[in-house]
Amino acid sequence: MSLVGANDRVPPELGLADAEPENWVEALSIPGPLQDHAMGWLHQMMLRASRHQVRRMRPALAGVGDERLEEIANQAADEAMMAVLTKLHTFEGRSRFTTWAYKFAILQCATEVRRYAWLTREVELDDLTPLRERDRSPASYAEAADLASAVRGAIEVALTPHQRRITIALLIDEVPIDVLAQRLGTNRNALYKTVHDARSRLRAHLIVSGHLATPHPQAGTS
Amino acid sequence: MIQAHKPLSEHAAQRLTLDTEPYLSCDECFDLVDSYVEALLADPDHDQLAMRTHLAGCAACAEEARSLLCYVAEQDGLNPEPALQRLENDPA
Repeated sequence: MSLVGANDRVPPELGLADAEPENWVEALSIPGPLQDHAMGWLHQMMLRASRHQVRRMRPALAGVGDERLEEIANQAADEAMMAVLTKLHTFEGRSRFTTWAYKFAILQCATEVRRYAWLTREVELDDLTPLRERDRSPASYAEAADLASAVRGAIEVALTPHQRRITIALLIDEVPIDVLAQRLGTNRNALYKTVHDARSRLRAHLIVSGHLATPHPQAGTS
Repeated sequence: MIQAHKPLSEHAAQRLTLDTEPYLSCDECFDLVDSYVEALLADPDHDQLAMRTHLAGCAACAEEARSLLCYVAEQDGLNPEPALQRLENDPA
């Protein structure tokens, strides 16, 4: 269901039918015809940004019809609008309001598309199945192959079972982080932190084994 | 039945060993991405190490940042390519 109805039109006498609100926060906060106008404008913005995201991710939705894609975009736009209104008090003006608002539509729509694309796919979360190395072409570089082999070993000895399961799912099996978060009842932050810690452990292990160079003391401080 | 994982490619090995310090959470990235994208479009040499590092290490946040950048550029009639190139750069 759309959040904007047919009656949410600004009265013609206000002369704002085609005008973006000058002060979005005020326009969205104070009940009245200007708020109705701002809400309608915002919903159109959310819908256009959601359609943009659906178009970008179209290859992940092969076989899905246009009607379903439009439903995904509309659902994302509605939820993004709710998120914008809920977070309105946090807008600090560090960017334009429109850019700030677009990011909610893009996040919401990208998440919807990823989850829809994986709706019928299993997520393998065991840490017992041995990792295989990719079959190599004669042109493969020995150094890169050596690193892959060393990483495979490090995953088995340097990570906790939880880190191993999450890291394999996200970085090797390429399960989208939103999909994994939904299946595990957690969130993107928690999974990214697990991967961050796993990467630190892998790097430390591979530096000791000589497969990675010790970071330069000045690296990453600029 | 236990299914086989995808083969461990060299590209995956690079992803697994990426240095993601300084740490930035996905929520913090989301808080900053709008101003970061505008800054990149205004000046492709703009740099925020923590954002650049996070986007190199988080495929979902990176896709959303690229998408936002392209969409804002389209709305403003700007060429997104220079800013996109900066966005794609791995951490130094």
